[in-house]
Amino acid sequence: MSTHSTHRPSALRELIRRPYFWGVIAIALLLLINSIKDPGYLAVSYNSASGNLVGNLIDILRAAAPIAMISVGMCLVIATAGIDLSVGSVMAVAGAVAMEFLASAGGSPTAALGALGLALLLGAALGAVNAVLVSVVGLQPFISTLVLMLAGRGLAKVITGGQNTAASNDTFRWLANGYVFGIPVVFLLAVAIVILVGLLVRRSALGLMIEAIGMDPRAARLAGVNRRGLLFAVYIASGTLAAVAGVFASASVMTVDVSNTGYQLEMDAILAVVIGGTSLAGGKFNITGAAIGALLIATLDKTVVFLGISSSATPAFKAIVIIALCLLQSERIRAMFRARRSRPSDISSDTPKEAVAA
Amino acid sequence: MRPNRRTVLGLSAAGLVATALAACSSGSASGGADDPVTIGFVAVGPEGAWRQANEQNIQDTFTEDAGFSLKFAPATNLDQKSQIDAFASFVDEGVDLILLSATEGSGWEESLNRAQEAEIPVLLIDRGIEPDDQDLYVTRLAPNNVAVSSSVAEWAISTFPDGANYFVLEGPAGVSVVNERNEGWNELMADQSDFTDLGSQSANWSTEEAKSVFETVLKSNNNDVQLVFAQNDEMGLGAAQAVEEAGLTPGEDVKIATIDGTEAALNALVDGTLSFVAEYNPLFGEQALEAVNAALEGETLDPYIEIESTTFDSPESAEEALPDRKY
Repeated sequence: MSTHSTHRPSALRELIRRPYFWGVIAIALLLLINSIKDPGYLAVSYNSASGNLVGNLIDILRAAAPIAMISVGMCLVIATAGIDLSVGSVMAVAGAVAMEFLASAGGSPTAALGALGLALLLGAALGAVNAVLVSVVGLQPFISTLVLMLAGRGLAKVITGGQNTAASNDTFRWLANGYVFGIPVVFLLAVAIVILVGLLVRRSALGLMIEAIGMDPRAARLAGVNRRGLLFAVYIASGTLAAVAGVFASASVMTVDVSNTGYQLEMDAILAVVIGGTSLAGGKFNITGAAIGALLIATLDKTVVFLGISSSATPAFKAIVIIALCLLQSERIRAMFRARRSRPSDISSDTPKEAVAA
Repeated sequence: MRPNRRTVLGLSAAGLVATALAACSSGSASGGADDPVTIGFVAVGPEGAWRQANEQNIQDTFTEDAGFSLKFAPATNLDQKSQIDAFASFVDEGVDLILLSATEGSGWEESLNRAQEAEIPVLLIDRGIEPDDQDLYVTRLAPNNVAVSSSVAEWAISTFPDGANYFVLEGPAGVSVVNERNEGWNELMADQSDFTDLGSQSANWSTEEAKSVFETVLKSNNNDVQLVFAQNDEMGLGAAQAVEEAGLTPGEDVKIATIDGTEAALNALVDGTLSFVAEYNPLFGEQALEAVNAALEGETLDPYIEIESTTFDSPESAEEALPDRKY
C-alpha cells in the first residue's frame, strides 16, 4: 500500500515529517493570534532617528537569542543521551563575573573584551567540570549537572558578594542592545553561532559520532569513537554557550541578578530542544529544530504579555500550548488519528485505495 | 585496623559533643544575672539587599555588649525544612527567646506549639505565618505592605490629577507580599475613574524580565502609558531601561514608582529615571529590642507592631537620604 499511495502528497508529507514543522506552525499561530488582537502587530518600522528596525518581531528575535544559545548547547548534550541542568546557573556565574569585572575595570572597549573573555572561559571551565564528572568519574549526567546547577548559583553569589552587581560599559551594552544595519546585534551573533555550530557538527563526522555514543556507547567504542573526548567537547560547548547566554542576559540591563539571571532557563532549553524534534533518549539531534524551539518559547513569552494574560494564568497558558505541540509531534497520537481516518478504506475493497493513489 | 580507629574517633567526638551540650544546658538552666540572654534567630539568609540589611541590623542590635548571645541560623537555599530543623534545635537547646523570619507562611503550627510547651516566647520578624494564629507567637514586627503600596497610590493620584494609563509590574504570583502590595494599590485605585488599568504582569522581581515585559507593554499600547507601579526597585529600574529604548524619557513621558528604597533606586531617583520610591524599612532592630525585653519580662504586647516607613518623592529627598543608606 505504501509503495503506491505516497506519490502525490509526498512533498507535503515530507514537510510535515520535519521534526520542527509543528514548532513553525505554532509560531505562526501565535503571531496570528497577536495580529487579531492588534492588526499592526507584525509591522516592523524603520526608526529614522537611529536607523534601527523597531517592532514586536524584532523584540522576539532579541528575546530568543539567549534561549537559542543554551538550547543549541543542550541539544548537543542530549544527543549523547546526557542532559545539562546547569546552563541557567552557568548563565548567572558568567553574568556575575562579567559585571564584577566591568564594575572595577571601567567603560573601555578593552574592559568589555576582558569581561567577555573571562565569562566564556569560566563557562568553559564549568562545562569541563561537568564533563569530568560524567566521563571520568562516571556519574549520571542528571546528577553531575544538578550539582553544578545548585552550586553555580552559590558561586555567582560568592563572586558578587551576594549583591546584584551593576556596571556601565557601552561596548558590552552594545552586545545586547546595539544594532548593525538596523538589525539587533544580539540576534546576528546568535544566528552566526547557531550556523557555526551547525556547520561544525554536520559538515564533519562530529555529529555522527555524537549520535553514535548517544545511541549505543559500547558499539561506538568498538567502532573506534573516542567517547571521553566527545563528552568533553559537548559539555564544554554547552558551558561556553551558556556563558554567551549569560553575557547576553546581563548586558541587556547591565545588571546581574544572582538569584534570577537564567533562573529555570534550563527548562526552557530542554523544551526548545524537544520541540525541535530531538529525542531525550539521545542518538539523534536537530540544531535547526532547537533554534526554532527557542524562537517559539520567546514568541510564547512575548505573546503572554502582549495579550495581557494575567500573571497567575501565564504558566497554565504556556503549558497548554506546549502540551498541544508535543501531542501533535507524537508519532503514536498521529498514528491514532491516521488509523481512525483510514479505517473505512481498510474495510472496503481495493478500488477506493487506487482512487486515492490516482 | 582502619574501621577501628574511625570508631574510636567517632566515639570520642560524640563524647565531646555530649559534654559540650551538657555544659550548654547547665549554663542556661542556672541563668544567673550575669549570663547573657540566649536568642535563637531563625532567619531567611541570602535573598537580596533588603534581607541582608534587615538581618545584619538584627545581628548588630542583639550584641554581647547589649547582654545577648544571638545564635544566627539562616535557611539553606530558602528551604523551609532547614528552618524548621533550626527552630527545633533552638527549642531543644532551651534558648530564652526565638526570633523567626519564615521563608514560607504555612506549616509552622507544630514548631510553634513545641516552643509554647517549652515556654519559649517567639517573635516574628517581617514575615507572618499562615493561618495567622496569634496565640502561637508574642508579636510580629514588620512594615505594613498594604500601607506602603497605598502611599504609592496616593502619590499617583496627586501627581496625575487628570488621570493616567498605568501598568503594574508584580512579583511572582501567589506570594503574600505581592498580594498585600496589590491590595494596598487596588484599594485606592479602584474608584479612580480617570485612571485606566492597562493590566499587570509578573516580572519575578527581576530587572531583565521587567525590561522585556515592559518593552512589549509599551508596544501593545502604542507607548500610551504614563505610569508604572513596580512592586520592587529592580523591576522599576528594568522598566526605565525599556522606556529609554522606546525613545521616551523616563520621569517625563512615563513616571515609574517603586517599593523598597535600595541605594540603586535612590540614585535613579536623583537622576530622575524613577519618580517615586516608597521605602519598605528593613532597619527595626531597636523596636525588636524593646519588644524582646518586654516579652522576657512577661508583658503582653500587641500582636502586630507596625514599622514606620518613609517615602521619597523628589530627587532632593533621595539625595538627603543617600549618604546613610545602608542597603
